[in-house]
This record gives sequence, C-alpha cells and structure tokens, in this order.
Amino acid sequence: MDEPTPATDRPTNQFGSLNNLAHELASLEDLAIRGSWRSIIDKVSRTRSLNLLTSPHDHLIYLSYNVLALSKLSRFADASSEIDTLDDFNSHYYKYETYPQLYPNRSGSMIPFSLRFIHAQLPMKLENRQEGLDRFYLLLKFIREKIKEKESDNLHDSVKTWKRRENFVLNCLIGHHLGDKEFNVCLDLIKDLINRDYLDPVLVSKLGCIQMQIGDIEGAKVSFNRVEMMLNEGKNDGYSFLSEVQFRNLVNRNKALVYLVGKDYVSAVREYEECIERDHTDVVAINNKALCLMYLRDLSDSIKVLEKALERIPTIALDETLFVPGFEVRLIAEIVQVLISKDGRDFARL
Amino acid sequence: MSTAPQGTHSLAFRVMRLCKPSFHVDPPFRVDPADLFVGEDIFDDPLAAANLPPLLSTQLSKSTDSSDLTYGNRFFLHHPSDAMGFSGLLLLPQSFGAIYLGETFCSYISINNNSNFEVRDIIIKAEIQTERQRILLLDTTKSPVESVRAGGRYDFIVEHDVKELGAHTLICTALYVDNDGERKYLPQFFKFVVANPLSVRTKVRTVKETTYLEACIENHTKTNLYMDQVEFEPAPHWSATVLKADEVHPADNSSTEEVFKAPILIRSGGGIHNYLYQLKLASPDSAQMKVEGTNILGKLQITWRTNLGEPGRLQTQQILGTPISRKEIELQVLKIPSLINLDKSFSVHLNLTNHTDRELGPFEVWLSQNSVHGEKNVVINGFQTMVLPQLGAFGSSDFHLNLIATKLGVQKISGITVSDTREKKTFDPLPDVEIFVESG
Repeated sequence: MDEPTPATDRPTNQFGSLNNLAHELASLEDLAIRGSWRSIIDKVSRTRSLNLLTSPHDHLIYLSYNVLALSKLSRFADASSEIDTLDDFNSHYYKYETYPQLYPNRSGSMIPFSLRFIHAQLPMKLENRQEGLDRFYLLLKFIREKIKEKESDNLHDSVKTWKRRENFVLNCLIGHHLGDKEFNVCLDLIKDLINRDYLDPVLVSKLGCIQMQIGDIEGAKVSFNRVEMMLNEGKNDGYSFLSEVQFRNLVNRNKALVYLVGKDYVSAVREYEECIERDHTDVVAINNKALCLMYLRDLSDSIKVLEKALERIPTIALDETLFVPGFEVRLIAEIVQVLISKDGRDFARL
Repeated sequence: MSTAPQGTHSLAFRVMRLCKPSFHVDPPFRVDPADLFVGEDIFDDPLAAANLPPLLSTQLSKSTDSSDLTYGNRFFLHHPSDAMGFSGLLLLPQSFGAIYLGETFCSYISINNNSNFEVRDIIIKAEIQTERQRILLLDTTKSPVESVRAGGRYDFIVEHDVKELGAHTLICTALYVDNDGERKYLPQFFKFVVANPLSVRTKVRTVKETTYLEACIENHTKTNLYMDQVEFEPAPHWSATVLKADEVHPADNSSTEEVFKAPILIRSGGGIHNYLYQLKLASPDSAQMKVEGTNILGKLQITWRTNLGEPGRLQTQQILGTPISRKEIELQVLKIPSLINLDKSFSVHLNLTNHTDRELGPFEVWLSQNSVHGEKNVVINGFQTMVLPQLGAFGSSDFHLNLIATKLGVQKISGITVSDTREKKTFDPLPDVEIFVESG
C-alpha cells in the first residue's frame, strides 16, 4: 500500500453522502445496483492506476468491491488472489489509530466486514469445503470476541452491528451445512438462533422447510403453525423486515408445502395462486406452482406459468433457479429453457 | 438407459422419474451495506453511529425499489436469513438417482409425435418387468387415445410400489395407426436397478422372565433416512415395549420445546441406530406350553421418510429368540458341605425332578470324563456310577453323591451327568460347581 497522505480538508459532515465515505463510492454503488460487475472491475483498475486513491480505507473499499465483483462473475480464483494481496486482516496497517492524522479520534479496524465473509466463502466455491467451514467457524469465534469486547466498553451501536454479523455468519453456516445435507447440524444451529429469541417467522419457516426436507412432516407442521400464529397475533419482531404482504405470502407458501407433501397438488396450486395474486414478484410461488402443475400431469400449463413469469419480471425471475424438468431438452425447448443463473451471468435460451 | 428399435416411428416415449422435489440451496454472495461501505469498527465512533444509519438505509431502500427492476436485491441482504441461500424454491432432481426396496417408483411418461402428420387410435401400455413378474401399470386398450397431432404430446403418470430387488424394466408400448393407415407397434424399455436400503441386525438376550431384543438398523442408501415409525409386532402370546434412553438434556428453552423435538435421522452410507425392546410372554401359564426348537418373537415394521417426506416401508422376517431346550429332567445341587478336606470323602446333596407327564428312568449319574477339564481333582468316591430308580410323572427324588477332592484350594466339581438308561438319553451335564479344599 502507498504511503498515506494526510487529507487537507476534513468535511464537517463526513457521512452526508456515499462520496464522503470513499472516493467516488456513489458511482461504484450505482454500477453494483445495475449488476455491472465488469464495469466495477474496470473502474477499480483505472482508479488504482491513476493513483486516485489517497487513503487506506479507500484502497480497502475498492478492493472489497473488486473482490465482490469477481465473485459475482464466478471468478473465484481471481477473487481469492486479490484478497491474498492483503496482509493479515488484523494487521495494524488496517487500523484507524495507525493514521491519527487521517482519522483523528477514531480507532479500530477499517477492514470492511464483507471482506472477511467473502474470504470464508471463497474456498467453498473453490471445492475446498473444509477450509471454508474452518474459516467460517473461526470468523464466528472472532465475532463473539468482538461482541464481548464492545460490550465491556459499552459501545452499544457496535454491539448491535456485531450481533447482526453473528446472526449473518450463523445463517451462512446453516446454508453450507444444508447444502451438504448435514441436517442435524442445521437443526442445532437454528435451534441456537431461535434460543437467542430470534423469533423470526422467516427463520421458523425455514426450520419447517428443513424438517420437511428430512421427512419430519409432523415437526414441519408444528413450525408452520407457529408462523401462522405469529401472523395472527400481529407478531413481527422487528428482526423480520417483512411487510404485511410478504408475511401473508410466507404463510400461504408454507401451507402449500404441506399440501404438496400430502400430494394434494390442486390445493397447493391454489395457495400459490393466492400468493401470486398478492405479489406478482413472488418467484418462489411462481416456480413452485409450475412444479405442482407438472405433478398434475399438466406440463403445458407448467411451462406457461414459467413463461409468464419471465415476461413480467425478467430480472427477478432470472435471478432464481427455476426448476427444469429432467427431460431431454427437445421436449420443452419449443418454449423456453431457463438455466441456472450465477449472478452476473444470466441468460435464457429461446 | 432407454432402448428403442431404429425405425420410422412417428411416436417416441420420454420418461422422467417423478420423485418428490428438493429445496434449492445456494448460499449467495450478499452483504449488508454497512459491511461494504465502511470499516467494520466504524460504529465505535459515536459520530458514525449517529450519522451513518440514515445514509445506509437510503441505499438499502433504493435497491429494493422493484419498479426500478434493479439487481440491487441480488447483492444486498434484505433479511439476515437471506445468507442461508434457502428460499423455499423447489427443484426436481436432475438425475434418476437411486431407487430402493420399499419405496414407490413414480414416473412421468410423455409420448411425442415427432412426425409432420397426425397419428390415431393409440393404445398405450406401461408395465414393470422384474425377475419374477410383469405388472401392468397402465392400459388404454378400452379407451384408446383418439389422436395426437403433429408435434403434439400425450402425458401420463404411473406409480408402482417397489417390492423386489434387482433389475427392473419399465416397458412402454404404443400401438397406433400412422398417417399411411399402417398399424405400428413401438416398444421402449427403460431399465433401473432396485437396491436394499437398510439391513437389520438383531440380538436376543434372556434374563429370567424377560427377553430383550436389540435391533440395529443400518442405512445403506445415499441419503439420510428419517425414521418415521419403527415398530415391533410381537408374535402371539408375546407383548413388547420399546425402551428408550432417559432424556439427556433437561427441558430446554420453552421456545425450542414448542418448535421441535429432535428427529431420529440415520446418516447415509452406513449410519446406524439401535432400538431396544422388552418382550414378555403374555401369560405365565404359557411357559408350560414352550415348544421345543425355534421361538418366534415377532417382526419389525419400519417406515422411513427421505426427501420431503417420500415414504418407504419394509418389514423384517420373523425374528427368532433363543431356542428353548426341553427340560424333561432337571438335576440340581441342593447342598455342598461348607468344610471340605483334602483326600476326605464329602457328600453332595442332589435332587432329580421329572418335569414330564410320564414315567421316566431308571437313571445313571456319573462324573463325565470331559477331556477339556484335563485331570480331575474331584472324583466320585466308590462306584463311579450311581443308579437311581424310575421317577413317576412330575416326580422328584433326593440322593447323595460321595465325592473326594485330591487337590487343595479352589477346585471344580464338573461334569455331573444324568442319563435315562431306558430311553438311552443323556442330558446336558450340570454346570461346574466351585468348592474350596482345605488341608487337614
């Protein structure tokens, strides 16, 4: 990293806009919102070569965007190399107090947390699952130590932030264990989250889905009933971020799953239709409805549902993996085949 | 996996296994804006803590504005559990997968008309051929499909409970009239193999009046098996109770108690789970009715679930208990003297009982020369064989055997054997009895 140069003018409001946080951050952010990951890589490269980044935190934020963009483009090895250009994350180079002229009265780490997260996730994508899991569990330990530290210093806002990160990493771990069908671990981790009073209808619904996946149908029904009770009691814990529409759709989708498992596909379709009526961007309901139609031997309608989804909400639909019947391509190629999208590389074939 | 004859058929079958779907899981690269725009410890700074949140939430809401059709919701987290990558989206499996005994084979079958002309009067049949039998799943002979237009399709779904192991063939046939008015026959074959999903090992132990049955279930499949129901069905005259370990964890947080109880999940590829049953004979009288030879205890009914509750059902063969030896004659040691001296004769008090309803005997009692024991240190003093008279039905008699010990210390009286001289039947010898031989 270059010698830091002290800024000459400290703006009075350091947090007024994105550009106050880092050099041309608003433009980077704009590119990200539009999914222009290649443009981000170009911009980072250009900005670096023109030596426009003056502060250490600018370098780190640009590096984070670069790493994120590379990951979104599935260039995992490149993303990994990019992170490797840094010293140990906990090095004093990345602490505010190392540069008192640049960051008066500020101490702590300036590493954007997303870097730690991506650093843990990348090995998973590079087929080194054990390393990835180790990194996630070490990250969890690190976060918990931070929480203790901030609590003892009475830094309440920081504590809140780090607790959110703890929750986030636990969710990542559940996802990875789920992918490898280590269901007992998933159930333990979710139990852990719920025990911390994250009485979150979304989380409890996911628990129900996991129970259903392993075959514990009765357990799943208990979880789903719990969620419905939460809706009826108007319980929306503040952790939830669910709008009324989203909450109702969640309950309908849960009901549909119970019907689906009981092979009552007609009732499942009805529940999904209610969801779609309420929110035509509910991709999960759309996809699952199409799947139910297939079980009803109605392949044509199934395909129509998927087609319609693509028409109305192209970007959102392409984000998800829509189910593809395992037939040879020719069977349904007359309509549309949607392939799995790796964010940033979406395409549909007609 | 399918074989079809090369020919000029207008129709072709396409088959897809229709098992239950699975949830799509794909942990994404999604972050919170606070983890991207600023350093991780910035909220330690009270200035940041006060001023950042409004800026961050503006960014977040900008990205969720759906009228904008943005990609923003694809890299920002909107809910902490977005990080799980588990939205409830269902997918059909992309490959056939494995199929196991006890499951239900379900298949979506589509017959397509690839030609440019209509095809008429289609009689469709679907059958499963195994080593032992041919099972009809579908037959439209009584109501043939009238026609399938050019480029058109006729679909159906078939189901079959898999009850045999080994090679299975799904045979799809279509008898139809093509454009030239010719009657054509199209057979297509789709093969699959059925494997054994689990094995059950049992151990039976009898302690006094109670029989314990330990069953170990091993999972040979590639997925975890959720044990929905494992029940022991006892044979007539037997009753069974399942024994469970005491709860190791005290009653947890009430919220989790409500939410779920831990399921029994047997790991794929060799995982095991043990079940313990306590069996008792329904009535004590039936002890009298013990039949010689095998002792049928009952069988185990197993119902498991895999993906999204897909059920499988199996039943074991009859499980056998320890064979009961018919005790016609019972020989018991009643009393041994407390002081036994070296080279001095001592008397052992024995009893012989006839458990049958007829007269048995006369009998002979001796110490068998079992070479396993090597040199005998306790022998009969006097005649080596004792003769006892006949015993009436359910009769019993006491007698004494004079023995002498030739060595000091802990010794065994082994091999006391009785035989029925009339029926020429020798019974199992008594188990060894330990004595202590003192000098003097």
